[in-house]
Amino acid sequence: MNKQNSLSKKKSGKTIKKILIYLLLTLAVLFYLFPIYTAVNTSLKSNQELAYGPVSIVKSPEFSNYKDAFLKIDRPMFNSFVITLFATVISSCLGAWCGFGFSKLKFKGSSLIFLVVVLGFYIAPQSILIPLLRFIGSIGLYNTYWGLIITHTAYGMPITTLLFRNHFETLPNEVIESARIDGCNYFGTFFRIALPLSLPGFAVVAIFQFTNIWNEFLYGLLLTQGTNSQPLTVAIANLKGTTVASWNIQMAGVIISVLPVLLAYIFFLKLIVKGLLMGSVKG
Amino acid sequence: MSKKIQILLFILPAIVLVGLFVYGFTAYTVQVSLTSWRDVGFGGTFVGLDNYIRLFTTDRVFKTSLINTLKLTAIFIGVTIPLGLLLAVLLDLKIKGRSIFRLIFLLPLSFSFVASAAMWTWMFSPNIGSINAFLRAIGLEALTQPWITSEEQAIVCIAIAYIWQFSGFSTLVYYAGISGVPPEISEAAKIDGASTFQRYMRVIIPMQKPATLTVLMILLMYSLRVFDLVWLMTGGGPGTSSEILSTFMYRTAFNRNRFGYGASIGTIMFVLSVIIIIPFFLKLRRSEYE
Repeated sequence: MNKQNSLSKKKSGKTIKKILIYLLLTLAVLFYLFPIYTAVNTSLKSNQELAYGPVSIVKSPEFSNYKDAFLKIDRPMFNSFVITLFATVISSCLGAWCGFGFSKLKFKGSSLIFLVVVLGFYIAPQSILIPLLRFIGSIGLYNTYWGLIITHTAYGMPITTLLFRNHFETLPNEVIESARIDGCNYFGTFFRIALPLSLPGFAVVAIFQFTNIWNEFLYGLLLTQGTNSQPLTVAIANLKGTTVASWNIQMAGVIISVLPVLLAYIFFLKLIVKGLLMGSVKG
Repeated sequence: MSKKIQILLFILPAIVLVGLFVYGFTAYTVQVSLTSWRDVGFGGTFVGLDNYIRLFTTDRVFKTSLINTLKLTAIFIGVTIPLGLLLAVLLDLKIKGRSIFRLIFLLPLSFSFVASAAMWTWMFSPNIGSINAFLRAIGLEALTQPWITSEEQAIVCIAIAYIWQFSGFSTLVYYAGISGVPPEISEAAKIDGASTFQRYMRVIIPMQKPATLTVLMILLMYSLRVFDLVWLMTGGGPGTSSEILSTFMYRTAFNRNRFGYGASIGTIMFVLSVIIIIPFFLKLRRSEYE
């Protein structure tokens, strides 16, 4: 009898704990999803329905909002694709190249140089903005794709080098040594041995860079003017100023702008998590 | 080609790019900060430490920016670290749908700050925004707030948006740290009769010091460099009540074209960055020689 009592007590205690756990999880889910819900909900409302407020669920979805928003941001979206693509590819390749050097071709002082390179990641961008604008202007790249591609590549170097160095550290040195014995110089070793083995690393770094560059705002704001080479983030920010109070169009634009990275998170979460952890924990 | 030259060629792109764009540019900023350079053209005269003296003695907006940066940092980190730890522990418990929960917690990380700023401006808009609309709908009209239109609440609103956007990162690092605790240790505590709660409080969480150090460093760095959220949610307003260092620097240098003065704020931000990374640097050096 007694035993049964304490067993059921234990059981009800467990149930309470379970309820508490799921309650906390639900609260967290509400916190994270409510803004996304209102954004999507608002983006589908007609101007008329918007007058009833953003929270009540949309009755007759107005998909034309997305078309309207897209027409306002199509050029910047194209710009962002070009800039992100080139900057991601170039900075990933340079990261692989330098990461290999810092991992497999160590010499006295190379770990110190590596540290100085990586620490570049932690400097607040405000301390370089004035010379950056001047430099990009003086080489004639203000308001061009290449101005932003070079900027993103340069400021991506610390993190891509770090990620690739950490990746190459997992390759045994013997692999490199045996290639040397077979008569490869360092370049041959890199292209024939290390590079093919670094494809998983490439996936992590490329997706890390893609998400960062796609979402970047400050350099785009500083280095472009008008829609010619303006990235999507700047265009989205401008939607606010140009269209009076049309929150539905603005939210549709926001949803369109986050889709590429959102989809990357959903489909490549493992790679993204790996990149975030490698970039920070092993920093 | 000699070995040395080959090695040099491998690390040259990093040295040149980071050397010029980070360290060279920073040096240039420091140099500009000692001049009165403003408006178009180039130059300005050498004024020594005048810009810094003005910042620290007479500039009220700078003081506000500094205090706001600290406030934002305190709220942001004060919430993000415990929240991340809590969510990581919850994920670590035997729960159904763990991967869905994890995805939801990480989802805001995929949003650009620009997108979050737009969404949260909409949330915090006092008349038609989602939060006040929601409060009215459930009959809590009395709890509605002026949010971002109020001098007192603006910086808190920005902090909430920042927490929403970035807390997934600390959840992620803690979750990785907790998953990395060897099962034998957890089992041993179980055998000793520790409850689940005790096991986390006495064994697993105290083992998360490295994770905490990592999170702290990254969050500190991000709270110094946050720009988009403030720029787009409040524009530093109402008035200058929510101005922070990064937006104040940008406004001074590029909207008012006071490059010398802006450069001195940029230099101060560089110094703050260095102060933040010193512990990180020490930790790295230590692990390098271990």
